[in-house]
Amino acid sequence: MTLLHVDNLRVTFPTRQGPAEVVRGVSFALGRERLGIVGESGSGKSQTGRAILGLTPPPGRATADRLSFDGIDLCRATPRQWRQLRGARISMVMQDPKFSLNPVMTIGRQLIEAARAPRAEAHDRAMAMLDAVQIRDPARVFAAYPHELSGGMGQRAMIAMMLMAEPDLLIADEPTSALDVTVQIEVLRILDRLVEDRGMGLIFISHDLRLVGSFCDRVLVMYAGRVVEELAAADLAQARHPYTQGLLNCLPRIEGGRRPLPTLQREAGWAL
Amino acid sequence: MALIDIRDLHVSFGEVQAVRGVSAAVAEGESYGIVGESGSGKSTVLRALCGLAPITAGAVTVVNEPLGRRRSAAFHRRVQMVFQDPYASLHPRHTIDRVLSEPLAIHGFADRESRILQALDEVGLGAGFRFRYPHQLSGGQRQRVAIARALILEPRVLLLDEPTSALDASIQAEVLNLLDRLRSERGLTYILVSHDLAVVAHMCERLLVMQHGRAVEELTRDSLRARSAAEAYTRALLSASEGYTPAGATP
Ligand SMILES: Nc1ncnc2c1ncn2[C@@H]1O[C@H](COP(=O)(O)OP(=O)(O)O)[C@@H](O)[C@H]1O
Ligand SMILES: Nc1ncnc2c1ncn2[C@@H]1O[C@H](COP(=O)(O)OP(=O)(O)O)[C@@H](O)[C@H]1O
Ligand SMILES: [Mg+2]
Ligand SMILES: [Mg+2]
Repeated sequence: MTLLHVDNLRVTFPTRQGPAEVVRGVSFALGRERLGIVGESGSGKSQTGRAILGLTPPPGRATADRLSFDGIDLCRATPRQWRQLRGARISMVMQDPKFSLNPVMTIGRQLIEAARAPRAEAHDRAMAMLDAVQIRDPARVFAAYPHELSGGMGQRAMIAMMLMAEPDLLIADEPTSALDVTVQIEVLRILDRLVEDRGMGLIFISHDLRLVGSFCDRVLVMYAGRVVEELAAADLAQARHPYTQGLLNCLPRIEGGRRPLPTLQREAGWAL
Repeated sequence: MALIDIRDLHVSFGEVQAVRGVSAAVAEGESYGIVGESGSGKSTVLRALCGLAPITAGAVTVVNEPLGRRRSAAFHRRVQMVFQDPYASLHPRHTIDRVLSEPLAIHGFADRESRILQALDEVGLGAGFRFRYPHQLSGGQRQRVAIARALILEPRVLLLDEPTSALDASIQAEVLNLLDRLRSERGLTYILVSHDLAVVAHMCERLLVMQHGRAVEELTRDSLRARSAAEAYTRALLSASEGYTPAGATP
């Protein structure tokens, strides 16, 4: 079943040199699956995720031929409809926890508000979630304000918060990039369970091709605002686009590989 | 004798015991890696070598100079450090020319102009970058400037703290290749710190795994590749580095 339709999504920012289109006609459909969006910094991954949630920062503008979630036309959603969707049915984990945690509220209160459940039950679930994202001292973090947490801790608290609402669609923007590899794998396990057991749809944005390849079902590869290749994660090694191949080949490998490492030879045609 | 000899190094910041008994001996021309998760004490080991963190206990000898509280000027000519963040480590209002000429002035070099041009050339930037400001450079170009600044005094040792962690994968490959080439051309000795096991496996012949301020185990590149790690923590790190394995799929 398709949960989300994105057709010809475009995001434009005004600049001194005229309008800059940073997302240029992105289209895809998402079911109850793990969809990865990869690409280098600046390729438009975050702006794609934000536009789906109607969170394009002004003065930027997003347009699409079609943007629909579970039959709801997001291009024409009223503020009331957005309030019912955001944080409840669609959640987003932002790249930087500073921008999505409320600075003047304790983590515990934010978790409880996100839960949409009776207080006692919400409290227990909050503690369980903090534990699930491998926070060693859940009681301390529960009582803490965002600024009292390190980057990695803040990111974990934010993931816990997004999961409290049990959304139907989760857009996770580099959710684990500030975490250690071993913790990162545990967080992915939680997301995996939500997809498998609860049928959540997941858009997993990352610059880490190896991680996306091992975790997601399908991968969109973005370059200069466009999707240059879409493929099953299992087929990543057989990628056709030279950009995807280049991104894979330039990674050092534990088992050893080429020396010097192959570097990416960008071609002007990729950005057209 | 080892070029760098670290014996039972301890570093404390007040109550925080950041490094708790780390030993390592690095030979001349070797590239030695330190891996571990954030907060394990990797950067503190490098900073203690440079005199940027206090040596609470233990002994460190670099190029036959036992290190005390102060580092001599000669030490800083021989040992240079490159930091993770190419954005924070360059002064935003100083041109590249000024960034590169300052160490030369401090150490009393005369032929500054030719050294600056040579350093820019060696890191693949060229003279065209000389009068630019850091904000006019990409992340990879800034890290090249940081490497040029470290090399300009012709050191024997580079201490590299996550030199590519802030860079895109394709730029990382270019910077790692540059570091690899410079080492073989100049016979440099590296200690390279990274949280990325693959980067360390690519760059270093031997590596130390750290956790919670302690040395977990030392491995050669070959034993890492053969997956013959003795400690459970190293094996967990290895397995997590290969990516995600769905529950139940693990043997
Ligand atoms: N608020 C903004 N104003 C102008 N340009 C922006 C703004 N936010 C992002 N951009 C530009 O949009 C492009 C895509 O950014 P982003 O989606 O954040 O990339 P990614 O997440 O893939 O690193 C970049 O070139 C970035 O500079
Ligand atoms: N200047 C300092 N003052 C107090 N604590 C510090 C200082 N520098 C590092 N630490 C602490 O020492 C520990 C090790 O830090 P660090 O060496 O930076 O780890 P790594 O580089 O492995 O991530 C951490 O708990 C860190 O918070
Ligand atoms: Mg982004
Ligand atoms: Mg560090």
